[in-house]
Amino acid sequence: MTKRKSLRLGNRDLPFQMVLLAFGIVTFFPLVLVVITSFKSNTQFYHNFWLPELPLHLGNYSSAFRIIWRFIVNSVLYSGSTICLIAVIASVAGYVFARFHFPFKTALFLGFITLIMVPGVLTLAPRFVLVRDLGMVNTPYALISVWVSGGLVLSTWLMRSYFESLPQELFDAAYVDGAAEWQVFIYVSVPLARPMIATVAMTTLISSWNDLIWPLVTITDKDKMPLAMGLMQFSSDFETDWGTLFAGYVISSIPLLCVFAVAMRQFISGLTSGSIKA
Amino acid sequence: MLRRLSTSPSVSISQRESQSPLPTRVWRAKWLYLALLIPVAMLLIFEWLPAFSALYNSLYIWNGGKVHFYVGLEHYERMLSDRTFRVAITNLISFVFFRVIMQTALPFFAAEMIVNLRSARWSYWWKIIFVFPMVVPTILNYLIWRFIYNPQVGLLNEGLELIGLEQYTHAWIGDPNTVMWALAFVRFPWLPTLQFLIILGGLQTIPQEVHESAAIDGAGFWRRLFYIDIPMTKRQITLAMILTMLFMTQRFDLFLVMTDGGPGYSSMVPALQLYQSAFHFLEFGYASAIGVVLFVAMLALTVINLRVSAIGANA
Repeated sequence: MTKRKSLRLGNRDLPFQMVLLAFGIVTFFPLVLVVITSFKSNTQFYHNFWLPELPLHLGNYSSAFRIIWRFIVNSVLYSGSTICLIAVIASVAGYVFARFHFPFKTALFLGFITLIMVPGVLTLAPRFVLVRDLGMVNTPYALISVWVSGGLVLSTWLMRSYFESLPQELFDAAYVDGAAEWQVFIYVSVPLARPMIATVAMTTLISSWNDLIWPLVTITDKDKMPLAMGLMQFSSDFETDWGTLFAGYVISSIPLLCVFAVAMRQFISGLTSGSIKA
Repeated sequence: MLRRLSTSPSVSISQRESQSPLPTRVWRAKWLYLALLIPVAMLLIFEWLPAFSALYNSLYIWNGGKVHFYVGLEHYERMLSDRTFRVAITNLISFVFFRVIMQTALPFFAAEMIVNLRSARWSYWWKIIFVFPMVVPTILNYLIWRFIYNPQVGLLNEGLELIGLEQYTHAWIGDPNTVMWALAFVRFPWLPTLQFLIILGGLQTIPQEVHESAAIDGAGFWRRLFYIDIPMTKRQITLAMILTMLFMTQRFDLFLVMTDGGPGYSSMVPALQLYQSAFHFLEFGYASAIGVVLFVAMLALTVINLRVSAIGANA
């Protein structure tokens, strides 16, 4: 009975499934080809473009890793500190904006959200001059400070609307139990806001991890480059060594793949339900 | 719904406090200001200051250093007669137009099919599959497509040869006539993650009953699409379109990595020209003026887009 039912439902899904399957194949095809090629020598690649071929050249991976690992470590450090700073600062600021009334609150908050309309490309050149005059060129501070301030705009807004949506009774209960304001914040509000903090962390990670232009402008030393910029360097250094080049591409996709494996469900539900609609 | 339940703890206090003079109220809130000190200072220094600096310096000739003198609106006049800038604007308009349609229609149809699946397990897996390309660093998207368009050993040309269409192989991004088309199709079958998830979220919130009663009334797939699904996700579609428009107008890493505006300046866009003016030619004043024009254009487009969709929603 159940079997027949699922069969019938499956048939109704069939046309959609076929289209989705075709779409999925086209989506993954370039990625699969990159992975296949990453195991080939140049001779194998020119000789046989499409199919995998023995012997596998694992040496491609070790020579690519020797260069890529430093960029990955740099990016983890830069993006990691950016995420921590944004999570702390945006939670505090969002909490203050959500839970208190004080003079100039609206003006201050407008000072945050109007920046959503100011594009990064407008501020690129003057911001470079500013950062150069502050002596931060070619240091991680140039990246982290600008990523944090850029990310704060949206993050504070998201945190504020999340804290506003928490029911008053929760806070009342904590106040009745004699909690001070900072205790309410740390022991009640932050744990409840964990899903939103995760969303903020994820969006910050993706935007800082993928930023190419700002590092390109401010970082010059090869051993300080974050991944996106390092890959650009790497791709011109190994332009015609296809196996090593593609092995490097595969290696550099692994960090986000790990994050994705752990936090994907959270990320999808965070973006599809709620936060964006408001 | 939760928001309706919540009243701020300090509502009653603030009503009492609003009778006390402003300095007293400011003093009472000193810890709150202290808590906001770091973010406010950061935004002032790294966001507001450069933004106003761009407005101000668009009226100056400036090399980013000592050379700095007032020229009024000269940069804006120069833009009108700058042939590179004219090409850049034309390129940008057609590029944004194409990408907005592609980056909205593609995720919409994928989301529509996924939501329509009866098997919840499959629709979960399809979501994962189509969000997956997100793990590939953005720059690798461009580098992979540079490989696809490679004239000697590119995926596209090899594919054409494989199916016997050798005569159509082409230097896709080396030819001024095809370069903008090639760039428009970069990342083509891959769904834009954010837009996809926004539209998916919209489609998922349409109540099952609406679809069921439509089915009882005899509405097929297409009627349902045009009379229920598209109207009911209008807000998400608008948001996805605005986001694509804003991203495409200001992000130029695609152009920088793939062609650097070439061949010649046939694939130039304003944001890339801004970058080159500032960092290759040290014309920070001209760069700022281009930035101001882009800013005004983006603001206008967003307002128009919101107005149009608001009118559509009311009708």
